[in-house]
Amino acid sequence: MHAHIQQRIQGIINNLDQLPSIPDVASKVLTMVNDPDISFKAIADEISKDQAITTNILKLCNSAYFSKGKEISSIDRAIVTLGIKEVKDIVIVAATREVLNKIVVGYDLARGELWKHGIAVAVLSKKIATIKNRKAVADIAFTGGIIHDVGKTVLALFVQNTFREILETAQARQIQFPAAEKEIMGFDHQEIGEKILTKWKFPEVLKAIVRHHHEPDKSPAEFLPIVSIVHIANTLCLMAGIGIGADGLYHELSDTAIKTLGLSNRELEELYGDMPQVLNQASGIL
Amino acid sequence: MGASSSPTVLRTILGSCVGICIYDRMKKIGGMAHILLPNNPGDGIPEKYADSAIPLLITRLLKDGAKKEFLSAKLAGGASMFKFNASVTLGQIGERNVEESKKILEKNGIPVLEEDTGGNTGRVIDFFLEDGRLKVKAGGQEKLYYKV
Repeated sequence: MHAHIQQRIQGIINNLDQLPSIPDVASKVLTMVNDPDISFKAIADEISKDQAITTNILKLCNSAYFSKGKEISSIDRAIVTLGIKEVKDIVIVAATREVLNKIVVGYDLARGELWKHGIAVAVLSKKIATIKNRKAVADIAFTGGIIHDVGKTVLALFVQNTFREILETAQARQIQFPAAEKEIMGFDHQEIGEKILTKWKFPEVLKAIVRHHHEPDKSPAEFLPIVSIVHIANTLCLMAGIGIGADGLYHELSDTAIKTLGLSNRELEELYGDMPQVLNQASGIL
Repeated sequence: MGASSSPTVLRTILGSCVGICIYDRMKKIGGMAHILLPNNPGDGIPEKYADSAIPLLITRLLKDGAKKEFLSAKLAGGASMFKFNASVTLGQIGERNVEESKKILEKNGIPVLEEDTGGNTGRVIDFFLEDGRLKVKAGGQEKLYYKV
């Protein structure tokens, strides 16, 4: 382990200003959606305060993936037409794009690849939730999919100089890439992602997804199903080459996740075979 | 799937998928199939499966003027997850994709001259149709394959 790298990363975590920021409206909407006493009108007003994001949200509401056919020209209409959960997902897409849509050097991801990967994982997570009778959490799976790799944006700088060592450690010790990250740098991208979500004031379920997406076994039991959904979606996207970076497939396909969701071999292969359609749907959001 | 003549470069990114690059060294015509799974269940989109995509690509190249005796192939991709339970068939999909691709090429009398397959890395591949060379970038390193 490189103590100086660990110290530098610890310094970034301690000083919240150095972690990426997103517009406040994201955490406000996430909280409001879960509060039964808050009216749709109040949520719409909160979103509409941020003019720049409102413009982007309306564009997304009318995109091929989210549109229900009718032109949507206000946040009020969006909530009525698409539903509050869908609008919440759209707010997260609009709020996180700037942080995620960039070059991630150390992981060898060109501009836009991490963003495309997140959106593809989001779309596939929602699909898996829907077909495996977990439609009630499909929106949370979608949000978790978008942001699951956010920690890579901070860790990339350090991975750039230690990549060879991390990879050699993974191979020599037969451990997956994030475990090797931790060996070499003292932190892995899942932990850093969790810290970022704490700064953003995101709920526990999303933190669990970000923290455990490579190791669902370690997830708190109450979040295991949703962590498993994002884990499977992430694995399938990587296997299909979507957002596959320097860490390649040095990851585990978790048996716990497969069993938790009750996915058969046939279902897994079919989901994998459907990746071109998933990518197609995702491109409507990019 | 793409087929064309020079000076085009066909690029794709591969995980467990396999890129099958076929080239006519005399006519300098080539094409690439990017397959996800080995076998078409029958009603699947033909481009996604090795056993239907490769014959489709060959037919298209022949239609464009290629001659079967001048065709050769290069393969890349077919990586696997680092760890998976042996009973999960998706874990072997990379290997099965490579095997089936080779089988179909052999059946069609097309020799495989170069192969950069397996392992746990993702690959970005560029297939240059001016001379049929293949560039494979994996784990931060580049390799070139020239045989046609």
